[in-house]
Amino acid sequence: MKVFVDSQRCQGHTLCSMIAPDSFELSDIDGTSSPVNEVVPADQEDAVREAVHSCPEQAISIEE
Amino acid sequence: MSVDDIADNDHKKNRYYFDRHTPEYRLQFEKITEEMHSKCPVAWSETYDGHWVAADSKHVFELARCPAVSNHHDLTGETPYQGITIPKAQRATVVRGGILEMDEPEHSTYRGALNPYLSPAAVKRWQPFVDEIVRAALDEKIESGHIDFVDDLANIVPAVLTLAMMGIELKKWMIYSEPAHLSVSTPEHSPEAERVAQMNRQMGIDLLTNMVEIKENPRPGLVNALLQLRIDGEPAPELEIMGNLGLIIGGGFDTTTALTAHALEWLSENPDKRALLGRERDTLLNPATEEFLRYFTPAPGDGRTFSEDVEVEGQKFKAGERLWISWAMANRDPSVFDEPNELVLDRKGNRHFSFGIGVHRCVGSNVARTVFKSMLTAVLDRMPDYVCDPERTEHYETIGVIQGMKHLPATFTPGERLGPGLDETLDKLQRICDDQGLARPITERKEAAVID
Repeated sequence: MKVFVDSQRCQGHTLCSMIAPDSFELSDIDGTSSPVNEVVPADQEDAVREAVHSCPEQAISIEE
Repeated sequence: MSVDDIADNDHKKNRYYFDRHTPEYRLQFEKITEEMHSKCPVAWSETYDGHWVAADSKHVFELARCPAVSNHHDLTGETPYQGITIPKAQRATVVRGGILEMDEPEHSTYRGALNPYLSPAAVKRWQPFVDEIVRAALDEKIESGHIDFVDDLANIVPAVLTLAMMGIELKKWMIYSEPAHLSVSTPEHSPEAERVAQMNRQMGIDLLTNMVEIKENPRPGLVNALLQLRIDGEPAPELEIMGNLGLIIGGGFDTTTALTAHALEWLSENPDKRALLGRERDTLLNPATEEFLRYFTPAPGDGRTFSEDVEVEGQKFKAGERLWISWAMANRDPSVFDEPNELVLDRKGNRHFSFGIGVHRCVGSNVARTVFKSMLTAVLDRMPDYVCDPERTEHYETIGVIQGMKHLPATFTPGERLGPGLDETLDKLQRICDDQGLARPITERKEAAVID
């Protein structure tokens, strides 16, 4: 599974890193998110899916 | 009505009488929300000179991110742009409401100056400082077995932290706290509104005094950030700096107070859930915080103005028309949230609207969460058997601006103090703030506060 954050849509709500802290890292300056790795480790897939559903801006997408 | 008028109003065929400034709106919130979701998720209301109301998640999501929807506030009153309040705020004739009443690119210019003070990493540095204010506030009451969670805790901590981040003296928190809370609990059409506006002007004078002081002798904080900002090589206009400082106070004080009070009231009414949250805090605190945010939506919505004719999700809007975007009602949309009127501590897929959507996402959201969690966990640790007194609990009469509470008295088994009281603690924290330069941006200081 691959994960992407659309930087044009992300507004730094930070929910993704709360839900999947090992998969998303936040900018120190404004809290916007980016994936730690494009390829999601198997044990983080469920958390990343939950992050996708929880993003208020619908800025995260995955490729299974 | 002429034929032209009828044609002109053809797009307003979905109508709903919507007045969020009445006590009935608070008391019938769930019924009104369900009615709008099922019959007219976006509707024209004749109230307050006429405005649209977006109530469902789909329209709220699209309209909040729509480039034809403006936050701008024209102080001259010569154009339809009236900013984020409906009806127009009395304070509004003096100053714009900071970045919340700016469009791009102006909005991002100012916001860029504030972000390095308010990002998750920046706010995390304040954690020990926040915990210490909370500790002192609870110590004032812990031996008595009585507390008012609004007056004695939730009004204090957000106010002290906000002033610290701004670079204003901590001991002044009360000068700011009263008008900050009253200005949101008093409806615009209330006879009290002018008096509250006057109190706000007095608070403004103190803010202005601070701004002049910091201009002459810079000291770190959000005031300095705005003073140092340059736009095309020029300093930002003082009125815009004042507007942003007012927004930081308005946003920083009453919203977190409201969230905390509502969560503590609900946990008192649901002691089994309170015990569960206490036991499973490591996994439950984050989702529970987001669920309290969704369910109680402290800032229930924002006004906007259409800057051009546009069609969104099948509904036509015309330039100059006003719009109320209801975060609170979108947060109860059953198409996004299962059992929307239930508070589910471990709710999944909780993409709530409580901090707004789009570029205007609450810049203080990380502050709100940090302060809320610190207050909540300290109460669970130190007053685990507290019981609120419904007879003396006082909610805001109306929820048009903030869904807040004036008083939330409670009793609990008394405990032991852990340290000095509030005044002594604020003196100590002021020294720590100054010595460690806590109010500097994350770009200049990475380390967390050290409480000696």
